[in-house]
Amino acid sequence: MTAPTTATRLRVDWPSCDAHGLCHELLPDLIGLDDWGFPILPEHVPADRVLEARAAAKACPKLALRLLQP
Amino acid sequence: MTTQAMPSQLATLPLTPSEDLLVLPGPALLADVASRRVSGGIGSGGDPSLRDHRARWGEPTMLGLDALHALTDAAGVRGRGGAGFSFARKLATAARHRSLGRAPFVVVNASEGEPASAKDAALARTSPHLVLDGALIAARALGAREIHVIVPGDRPRTRGLLLAAVAERTTDPASSGVRWLTHTTQARFVAGQARAVLELMAGRPGLPVTAWEPEAVRGHRGRATLLSNAETWAHVGLLALEGLGRTLGRGTAAEPGTTLLTVHAPGRPVTVQEVEHGLPLGAVLPASARSGPILLGGFHGTWAAGSDVVDLPISAAAFRERRLALGAGVVIAPGLGACAVAWTERIVAHLASESAGRCGPCRNGLPALATAVADLAAGRPGARAEVARLCGLVEGRGACAHPDGTSRLVASLLQAFPEEVARHEAGRCGARQHLIESEAVR
Repeated sequence: MTAPTTATRLRVDWPSCDAHGLCHELLPDLIGLDDWGFPILPEHVPADRVLEARAAAKACPKLALRLLQP
Repeated sequence: MTTQAMPSQLATLPLTPSEDLLVLPGPALLADVASRRVSGGIGSGGDPSLRDHRARWGEPTMLGLDALHALTDAAGVRGRGGAGFSFARKLATAARHRSLGRAPFVVVNASEGEPASAKDAALARTSPHLVLDGALIAARALGAREIHVIVPGDRPRTRGLLLAAVAERTTDPASSGVRWLTHTTQARFVAGQARAVLELMAGRPGLPVTAWEPEAVRGHRGRATLLSNAETWAHVGLLALEGLGRTLGRGTAAEPGTTLLTVHAPGRPVTVQEVEHGLPLGAVLPASARSGPILLGGFHGTWAAGSDVVDLPISAAAFRERRLALGAGVVIAPGLGACAVAWTERIVAHLASESAGRCGPCRNGLPALATAVADLAAGRPGARAEVARLCGLVEGRGACAHPDGTSRLVASLLQAFPEEVARHEAGRCGARQHLIESEAVR
């Protein structure tokens, strides 16, 4: 049903996210924060940043961040 | 330049569902409707009983999966969730994800959360068994053993009629081996959303959650679940009962068939009518409502100037090309003199209050957006830029489409009425004057 994705992406489970901001602290150049401290994610995760992105997803205290690979 | 104070056009803003409907006869789903107001219950809009339905159509012919897929694909049956997703593709996905001993589920979503939409209510009044036949045929084709019917908690008459129709099915021999179950949604804008419905079916609060996979892949109890809205099921039912030829004879070659619209215009009750694809939009509007702003697709929809869209064919492709959304088929035409900025202010305030409050960007962003739109309407400096920024900030950042729909509505205001927005920025509401001028230019 969904189009095949060719790039690695990050996705937030929004109801779980509590704006702890740890993902932003770990990857400040890739993940921004909005006015209220909730993450602003990049379209895609560059291939050379996938390991860091996975670490950020694992570090989320609410397990609200997921790395989706094609 | 002086204009008299206009009577408030906002009095008709349909923030709560109305069950006082005018259902007009149509070419297919509403073919048997006598043109009359159906404010009452059973009997006032024709007899919607199973006995009469069977007398009219006979027993439904059960179809195999391939036959049902071919039929709905050829007829171009689509969902009414805005994206217009192909029913046949959804059916194929659900079929592919069945597994041994884990029968899939069929779900009829008759609980439109959009308060301005009344198409499900109209079907409940006039032809609930077309809807249920569609679901039964799909359940047989898929090997589903349960059909769940989701009824609206905030429309008691509609709910009562649907429950009565389902009750007739439980003793109907054609339903042997299939269980019919019903669930009542909470009165809430987001409660009709697909994932919220699955939550309700699971016994949890009926609020949206993140969908990691489509429900046709993994839905109720982790199984393949074919969930469609009542209108889509009615089209499936009618196709199976009358055959493909009749549907292909309606609408256009590219978009055969019909669609249900709920039209709000001054001076008449909420009107549900069925139109063939390709008919110009103006044909469903009284002359007095063809000028002025028109909100297409309901509160999650898009604004357009009436004069720009009255000749636009009612067609998913034509709307997409103009970057307009017909969504669930709601058309709100407040008439000449209505101020789209003021309407948007009220609607966004309402949508912000209807946020389920679970997702941070929606919980925080929609009230902020509502404030910014109010600032824009009041002519506060810098409000327009803030509105545009917040629209971008909430979009795509929630478990459901509530922030996206709200953002789309506001963005379309800036797009469709730049001059009116500019007048508000200058501290004046020029809706009436502006529209009179643009009429004079033609």
